[in-house]
Amino acid sequence: MKRSTKQRACGLLAGGLLLALLPGCSGGLVSNVNNGAINPNTDQTEFDIMGGMSALSAGYEDHEVLNALQKSAGVSIHWETMSDSLAEQVNIRITGGQLPDAFMGVGFSNYDIARYGDDGTFLDLTPYLTPEIMPNLCAVLEAHPEIRAAITMEDGGIYGLPSGEQMTTAGIGAPMDEAFSIFSVPQYSMINKAWLDELNLPMPTSLDELHDVLKAFKDNDMSARYYGNAPGSTIPMTTGFDEWCWGQNIFYAGFGFTNWPNDVINDIHLTGDGKVEFVCTTDAYRDCITYFHDWYAEGLMDVEMFSQSDSQLIAKCQQGYVGVSTWWYIEELMGDYAKDYVFLPPLTGPKGTQYEGTCGVTIRPGTPISSGQLNITNKCQSPINLLKFFDQWYDGETVMQLQYGPIGVFFTGKDDKGMWLSISDEEARAKYGKSGGELRNVYEVFGPKLVLAEYYNEVFYMEPRAIERLTDLDESWMPYVKDTTFYPVDCVFTGMEMETIDWHKPDFESAVREQEGLWIKEGGPTDAEWEAYKQRLADKCGLNDLIQAYQDAYDRYAQTR
Amino acid sequence: MTSAHKKARGMSDKTSEAILIFICAVVLLLVAYPLYYVVVASFSDPYEVYAGKTFLLPSGFTLEGYKSVFLNDGIVSGFLNSVKYTVIGTIFSVVMLYITAYPLAQKDLPGRKLISLFFLITMYFGGGLVPTYLVVKQTGLVGSMWSLFLPGGVGVGNMIIVRNYFQNSIPHDLLEASRIDGCTKFRTFIKVVIPLSMPILAVMVVFSMVAYWNDWFTALIYLGGQGSPLPLVMRNILIKSSATASQASTISGGYAELNKLTELLKFCSMIVAALPMLIVYPFVQKYFEKGFMAGAVKG
Repeated sequence: MKRSTKQRACGLLAGGLLLALLPGCSGGLVSNVNNGAINPNTDQTEFDIMGGMSALSAGYEDHEVLNALQKSAGVSIHWETMSDSLAEQVNIRITGGQLPDAFMGVGFSNYDIARYGDDGTFLDLTPYLTPEIMPNLCAVLEAHPEIRAAITMEDGGIYGLPSGEQMTTAGIGAPMDEAFSIFSVPQYSMINKAWLDELNLPMPTSLDELHDVLKAFKDNDMSARYYGNAPGSTIPMTTGFDEWCWGQNIFYAGFGFTNWPNDVINDIHLTGDGKVEFVCTTDAYRDCITYFHDWYAEGLMDVEMFSQSDSQLIAKCQQGYVGVSTWWYIEELMGDYAKDYVFLPPLTGPKGTQYEGTCGVTIRPGTPISSGQLNITNKCQSPINLLKFFDQWYDGETVMQLQYGPIGVFFTGKDDKGMWLSISDEEARAKYGKSGGELRNVYEVFGPKLVLAEYYNEVFYMEPRAIERLTDLDESWMPYVKDTTFYPVDCVFTGMEMETIDWHKPDFESAVREQEGLWIKEGGPTDAEWEAYKQRLADKCGLNDLIQAYQDAYDRYAQTR
Repeated sequence: MTSAHKKARGMSDKTSEAILIFICAVVLLLVAYPLYYVVVASFSDPYEVYAGKTFLLPSGFTLEGYKSVFLNDGIVSGFLNSVKYTVIGTIFSVVMLYITAYPLAQKDLPGRKLISLFFLITMYFGGGLVPTYLVVKQTGLVGSMWSLFLPGGVGVGNMIIVRNYFQNSIPHDLLEASRIDGCTKFRTFIKVVIPLSMPILAVMVVFSMVAYWNDWFTALIYLGGQGSPLPLVMRNILIKSSATASQASTISGGYAELNKLTELLKFCSMIVAALPMLIVYPFVQKYFEKGFMAGAVKG
């Protein structure tokens, strides 16, 4: 009896304790599942934010748009921004545990985000994404589930606010679901039409025709003959090597692929049925490299193509030395000689080979939606207050001003469709002594700016240069793209996959690049060399692990859509 | 020496002299032309330079590069900061070198081997950037000029050279003699050792001076944008210009035009940053020649 009373007392006590603990407990439990419960604290109104800014920015202390946003959210922010050595300073601060309340405009990679999310440096923002705290962002995520998917890490947490610029052909009238990124085809090839006419040559349509044209340019020393430059100054074709908008990759289309440098991994290709492969191990790639070695050996491709910088390329082109090159605009590259150049559409493979009639321009993934532009750290006491400030960013008119400049400075007024008009270059020079682009760089804020494709139809007009680019893309280049699949840049990787990619990607890319250059220079691979190369990629550079990682991530991605 | 012999030797002297002069001229050209080229390029249209049009005279003469460098607000303060850091840093470093090297050169210093080893280890193993930064931060030096000098105050390699000089070129007997004459150890150091080690002192001054003048990374990490030395100011001008070219041109175009200035600035900033050293160098050079081989054998 005595014993049982004691037991009962114990039980009661334990029960009471449990009850008392329950409110706290529920929070704790959620935190275990969700990696972070909501922190209801709203005391902190002053925040330290560290991050990047444009080199031309004067800092954010007196930024009128930011100050207005702070005022309406009732917070005050101390900015510690830099344009230079940001990565070093951020690393030092994180390693040293001297965290600000948030990092803004740093551009953490998904690998970093997952790591810092996992060790608790970055707060999981999932519980805060509610219509009460972040109404604007929630509306955006509701309308665009793919954005939510892109910023959700493998563990289910969201450790940063989304950012991205969806500059697509939708901005020039293409239907939203058939729109292509402005980065789809980065290299526009161009040819000196005046030289063609002078030699009575037709516009080449296949690689062997271009070969003959380049040979004619060289043999006739067109730079000297037509422009009166020094004898022997003609460079039939010059490009960079695997460079962004000035590479040689567009010419590979004749062999059925274009291995654009891109944000996922170079040489990756997704086939129509969803299989991941690397073009740099295909037979077409081998034939292509073997073929272009002949061009290089005949002096048709610039000997400096592997070493030159874009400045050197521009220098040559602006002297009128060059027959064929690649860039995004003819005017910019060719300067005073631009009037003589026209776009050279993608060419088909050499006649008399199995590639006759082949023209395989593939497209490049656009820029990813990133969650590395605004990350709140565990030092922040009142994430709710800070997030309310940032929720205002997810509004077309606000993000427009953060991206370009304030209304009244960069944006001058609305037209009859209710769209904002931006300042013209002449006005900007007259009023501020700067070009429109420089003006933008003074006011631009680096951070979680999500410029959705629809804003260009509803809120403000795209930059004229971007429109020009997209129009060229749509009219001159997309017609040559038959296969529009590409590896989605917003794939989410598991921790293991990220480890694999982080470990192998640099080696893999540089090994392929180096070998490709050597083969173009010194002659294509023999069977033994080719096998040895594939073996090396598999053994030393993790080819199969990479394929596996990218394939698995893609399969999961495809399942959820 | 017979006259015939003399004549024969004279002939061969002349030929060998001619050959020597020729070789020297070639070497001089090889060394001097690239320097001269940078000077010419800093006055030329960079695209003409890259297109191979510039040889002896500027082509497409322009002063735009120097204009942008000298119109920058930071250039004067950058120069003064650099002079300040160089002077203070050099004095500090040389003093530190002397007061470490001299005791280590004394055979009767207890634990000499161990202390030398201690110094030597730091030549092979460093903490790396982040740990070093944390130490500097915890000592409260971040943002202060002393963060540039204190962490690397004693250059161990230089210290060994100076120590060897003391050991090999200043006779121990001399030090003993001064002691017998009643000099204190300190006075021996001041009155005997320092005057006798002028050549190596000059070398160390030049080494430290050039190192401090060129150093920008330490300033970048520790000074946090305040009191930037000249190379850092130059770097910022360049970064600003290249950012203008790559970002501004997305809207208004003209990347090629803006990029031209960036390329030009590379040449101009080289000249502006190197010129003060080029001017100072001849004045210390005479000591330099004498001292260069002094204590060159390490160990």
